[in-house]
Amino acid sequence: MASIGITASIRRACSSQHITKKQSAQARPSRSLGTQATNVVTPNVEGLKLSEKQEKSPFPNIDNPKEPGDEIQASVETSYPRFSDERWKNGTWDLNMFVKQGRVDWDAVIVAEAKRRKFLELYPEASSNEEPVLFRSSIIPWWAWIVHSHLPEAELLNGRAAMVGFFMAYVVDALTGLDVVGQTGNFVCKAALFVTVIGVVLFRRKEDLENLQKLADEATFYDKQWQASWQSPDTSNAVKEESRKE
Amino acid sequence: MASIALKTFVGLRRSTPENNAIVLSKPATATTLSYRRLRVNASKSSPRVTGRNLRVAVVGGGPAGGAAGETLAKGGIETFLIERKMDNCKPCGGAIPLCMVGEFDIPLDIIDRRVTKMKMISPSNVAVDIGQTLKPHEYIGMVRREVLDAYLRDRAATAGATVINGLFLKMDLPESKNAPYVLHYTDYNAKTGSAGEKKTLEVDAIVGADGANSRVAKGINAGDYDYAIAFQERIKISDEKMKYYENLAEMYVGEDVSPDFYGWVFPKCDHVAVGTGTVTHKGDIKKFQLATRLRARDKIEGGKIIRVEAHPIPEHPRPKRVLDRVALVGDAAGYVTKCSGEGIYFAAKSGRMCAEAIVEGSENGKRMVEESDLRVYLEKWDKTYWPTYKVLDILQKVFYRSNPAKEAFVEMCADEYVQKMTFDSYLYKRVVPGNPLEDLKLAVNTIGSLVRANALRKEMEKLSV
Repeated sequence: MASIGITASIRRACSSQHITKKQSAQARPSRSLGTQATNVVTPNVEGLKLSEKQEKSPFPNIDNPKEPGDEIQASVETSYPRFSDERWKNGTWDLNMFVKQGRVDWDAVIVAEAKRRKFLELYPEASSNEEPVLFRSSIIPWWAWIVHSHLPEAELLNGRAAMVGFFMAYVVDALTGLDVVGQTGNFVCKAALFVTVIGVVLFRRKEDLENLQKLADEATFYDKQWQASWQSPDTSNAVKEESRKE
Repeated sequence: MASIALKTFVGLRRSTPENNAIVLSKPATATTLSYRRLRVNASKSSPRVTGRNLRVAVVGGGPAGGAAGETLAKGGIETFLIERKMDNCKPCGGAIPLCMVGEFDIPLDIIDRRVTKMKMISPSNVAVDIGQTLKPHEYIGMVRREVLDAYLRDRAATAGATVINGLFLKMDLPESKNAPYVLHYTDYNAKTGSAGEKKTLEVDAIVGADGANSRVAKGINAGDYDYAIAFQERIKISDEKMKYYENLAEMYVGEDVSPDFYGWVFPKCDHVAVGTGTVTHKGDIKKFQLATRLRARDKIEGGKIIRVEAHPIPEHPRPKRVLDRVALVGDAAGYVTKCSGEGIYFAAKSGRMCAEAIVEGSENGKRMVEESDLRVYLEKWDKTYWPTYKVLDILQKVFYRSNPAKEAFVEMCADEYVQKMTFDSYLYKRVVPGNPLEDLKLAVNTIGSLVRANALRKEMEKLSV
């Protein structure tokens, strides 16, 4: 059964001691959904998509044998490595470990939390009541976010804007004879500057253009689906066309 | 802050390999869009039905059919309720809001459990408890569908409806204006054995309450809708683990569990239902289910799977919900909310509303109904519940978009004001405006959460584990 293959193959050799107590019946293949009882909507297990993380590797031995049955094998799904970091204690980051020059190094906290989330995205873990995650990102002060994420990008954009501005001032001067002082007094130049600033703020990357358009479509699509009952056949067909194109 | 990597729902359909460009096909004659704003004036001009009462068939005996059947029968209309499987265990979360218990007089012994606490678990396993703002008499009722459906059907029968155990096959549309509809169905009633006997039934109006794969909808060419697949396993766990779920339900969000929905663990009478759903990645539903079981692993360890079930859930209403004297209600019409996927209450309520419109339009069964009478129900429904649906749609679009958004969602749920508003709107089905100052604070906090989560996502992209 493919599910056995999957659960088998995502087993990794793991050093963390958290795993040991859950590894009790690792080798016993899990009874897949299809083999058991009553009114089952038998899932087509073969159709499962296998992710690339899997590799064939042998099981360790069972410690205590389990009865045959369609039990949720605790170990079977454990096969991921667990997240561990010396600064992550009891479900939260220990801020004392991030102290640099007498102050908390918030940049390091942000990076550490990002790493944890990335790890969990790749290797999801069971949510446990015994070791709950208590960390809340709101503990990081607002200015730390600005210093870490916003300022570098702002610097980049300002640099680009300055270079473009200098070049455009030169070109406009060459073409129209207005020097910089004259340009700042001219309405057309000021309007062009305004449009450029807005454009830079909204469209920083090519994808932003498409994204904004998709957002606009999305915002009204649900309304159209509801209004379809009230519209004449050709417009309701238009709504159907849209949903089919999706 | 537009540099958020925007994953939109519109572009997510994996089934269409072609370019996801949405072309808003504006009709060429844009100015001649004819909105059919119809009014209730036709009933007075409808002919009187002589010698008998109006006959209405309700196809489908779930909450929508049961509620419609009861209201019709009480209104003096000759009602036929056609249900194919009297003991059907519809795969369902089984949660009903508090207002349903009051509005539909649900006896308390039908409710297996009262959920008063919920746990929302984010992709990085941040767990937030909600439910502290609930008053002592407030709860979410968990029911078994077979019990609830049977109760509503029996009540319809007591009110005077004829309950027929049969499978609806097709219907013949009327040739002339007031001619009857002819329903073809297979009657399973005892005498002819299990194969059933083909019969026909003549009625004046039809209420289509036969669920997501509605045949009535096909019969009137109501059009299709996008649907989600909900996949659920019923798992029997040990008593001590069951105590944890005594009145607690869990919701897991994350890309691993579902890209556009959530995974859940709901307590049922003596076992738990662990499931997940998706619209856009239906082929990966098994993977999502495994991930859901992994996330809940410690709490369901050692449990036995006693049943596996799946069902489609509509995402939005069908393009046509009423045609002539046929109306769709419940899942057949597509009245399932986004974000939470709630459908039982809306099914029952729409069944009742449609039946009320028929009773009123026919003056208790004395006159023939017309499409305009049925459209009264549509209008009332859209007006009453459109805000609820729209708000949930916005919530889904904002918070189910990506992992950072889901993290922000769980963070927001920790806020007491959010919990109060959420439960008020869920339990009583009204979108209450609330305190404007608190709303402003909420808006600021939401934006803050989203910005933080997306900033962390950008950081994550720079890293590699």
